[in-house]
Amino acid sequence: MKKILALLLISMLVMVAFVGCGGEEVEEPTLDGDTTEEEAVEEEETEEEEAVAEDATEIVIYQNKVEIHEQLSAFAQHYTDETGVKVTVKTAGGDTPYAENLKAEFQSDRQPDIFVIEGMGGYNTWESKLTPMADQEWMDLTDLEFTVEGETYGFPVAVEAWGMAYNTAMLEEAGVDPAELTSQEAYKEAFETIDGMKEELGIDSVVAMAAGPDMTWVTGLHNFNGYLSAGLPYGDTTVLDKLNNGEADMDRLTEYADWVEILFDYADPTVLQTGNYDAQVGQFGTEKAAFIHQGNWIDPWLESNGVDFEMGFAPHASVAGEHDAIFIGAPSFYVINNESENQQAVQDFFNYMATEEAGHEYMVNEANMVPAFKNVELKPKTPLSAAVTDWLAKEDGAYTWLQNDMPDGFGMGTLGPIYGLYASDGIDKAQFIDQVKRAIESIE
Amino acid sequence: MDRKKSDRFYFWLFLAPALFGFVLVVIIPFIMGLYYSMTDWTAIAGETANWVGLENYKDMFTSIKFQYSFVRTFSFTLFSVITINGLALLFAFLVTRGIKFESFFRAGFFVPNLIGGLVLGYIWQFIFKSVVPSIGTLLNIPALEEVLILASPNLAFMGLIMAFTWQYAGYIMMIYIAALLNVPQELLEAADIDGATVWQKFKSITAPLIAQAFTITSFLTLVNAFKQYDIIVALTSGGPADIYKDEIVNSTELLAVNIYNTAFKYNDMAQGQARAIIFFLVLTVVSMAQVYFNKKREVEM
Repeated sequence: MKKILALLLISMLVMVAFVGCGGEEVEEPTLDGDTTEEEAVEEEETEEEEAVAEDATEIVIYQNKVEIHEQLSAFAQHYTDETGVKVTVKTAGGDTPYAENLKAEFQSDRQPDIFVIEGMGGYNTWESKLTPMADQEWMDLTDLEFTVEGETYGFPVAVEAWGMAYNTAMLEEAGVDPAELTSQEAYKEAFETIDGMKEELGIDSVVAMAAGPDMTWVTGLHNFNGYLSAGLPYGDTTVLDKLNNGEADMDRLTEYADWVEILFDYADPTVLQTGNYDAQVGQFGTEKAAFIHQGNWIDPWLESNGVDFEMGFAPHASVAGEHDAIFIGAPSFYVINNESENQQAVQDFFNYMATEEAGHEYMVNEANMVPAFKNVELKPKTPLSAAVTDWLAKEDGAYTWLQNDMPDGFGMGTLGPIYGLYASDGIDKAQFIDQVKRAIESIE
Repeated sequence: MDRKKSDRFYFWLFLAPALFGFVLVVIIPFIMGLYYSMTDWTAIAGETANWVGLENYKDMFTSIKFQYSFVRTFSFTLFSVITINGLALLFAFLVTRGIKFESFFRAGFFVPNLIGGLVLGYIWQFIFKSVVPSIGTLLNIPALEEVLILASPNLAFMGLIMAFTWQYAGYIMMIYIAALLNVPQELLEAADIDGATVWQKFKSITAPLIAQAFTITSFLTLVNAFKQYDIIVALTSGGPADIYKDEIVNSTELLAVNIYNTAFKYNDMAQGQARAIIFFLVLTVVSMAQVYFNKKREVEM
């Protein structure tokens, strides 16, 4: 009797172990900031779940914007109702890094049909799995699709832009005209004026700027992009190509260092050295700074925190000379898995999103993105995104986004700490220039 | 089968599931990792790994950032082991003296260990960024008010040690409590009668008898300090930048963080794997040496 009981318990234990290890097909997103542990847990699939009906085509999108997962799923549902093609949205982002989970997804049973890459770096990593797209309706409606050597590989998800966002009312009070902020000299003057009026305006510092260890994307990627493309025509990659060959443009770098100096000098030391995203955007949102070095993606944060003053974008004066454009680009692209069996369905989905009213409604009003397509008539409700559409509509109002085309980890990992040390006065401007030059020269 | 054979059979039968899991999840990936560390693999589907021999290892040893990480990890381990064990022993003593609310204190000291490393890091980040300045304002100490603990390389390092000590002291204290309670009271009473001071009693009676606990606790703190990752990422993200041998380094980027960054941030998986293997070897050698020396000093009761 005892033996039988023991045997029974053992077999139960073994079965529980196997059942527990089999996962489920999960479509929930992982909210960034809240979950701390689990990275790959939610993305496990098993053989059982593969019972997809042969006649109903299914597209799986694996994307990285946690904040629009619900809206995209709703749009996908609408698309399914309209066309009968099932679209499944899976998301990973924020604290669960997309790039690593994507690699895991490809090793799983159901590879995504659509996934996301971010610029040249992503292209180089995933080159062997991409399909070129040709002669699609949406391609005529935008200039921002991702192309390599004439072949189009990526569908632009949204347009994002950054510049020097400013508080309109505050600048008016200080007597500074944002239209005049086009050069380093003009900025220096304006900053000095505003700095002298800190008490009256009630601000802690002129600029809300962050250079700490967790904000290296602001300095090493975005701010450094000024060195790569400010003042150059859209699409000009000479400085970037030199960088990828290990060559630094010293004149340009010296001018650029002046701009970094201006920003750091007029920033609040606490926010600059140890502030995180909330601290930096918070400083601007609570009107303790007149400018902020960020982009239109801070709109959701501002909205959910009840910030409603008028704001706009002014150009970065990253190098010497006159500047009349902000950095506009599509940060991420939907790409098609070349091993997908539903490629035509995916193309149809893209075209639907770009041309149909429902697609526009989703992109502009639901997901609060600035669409990359010229046929969209809806204007975003949030202030910075609306400002972006103005700059986008302007002739030559855009500088290129090239920061994602630098080698992996260079911007945030290698350059980021250099800015951090400069911000905490560990090195002076000359050493800063020297360190950046050496970092560039170490690229082979 | 005769008794011995049947015993052996059941022994292996019961061990089988755990052994199977261990081999599948630890041994096999380790061997695969050894192979991959000698290639230029980047973990992208569809790309082949080309053999490069010991090049990854050579690159690693010439990398100043890695050397710095090594040095920092060693000093972090040294300081942590001392502070954690010192504090834990102190608490263990306090809590075995028969004071009031003993159980409450024991539980209280242990609770920080239950909080995961990531949450702990964020808690301490909040303390360093907001609480310390507020205390400074309250007590009117300008130095406290304005210090940016997480912006200075050495202060951030110290903060890291503090957070880590807070997490582990309670756990180690539990081990010391068990050991202390096993010291026979008669010996201590006899020493009292002979007129021994508290320090003499500790040095000659208690310490040798809890030497076995020392082995265990030293081993645990050493290994855990070496492997620290989540507290660092949450508290300092690798830390304020510093200059070492004329190169910019991250002052709290310990070995585990460095390996993770190499593999995932810079997408250099093979290099990361090579560093992980060296990490494993160093940790094995150090911890085995520690256990060997500690065991020699243990006293059999």
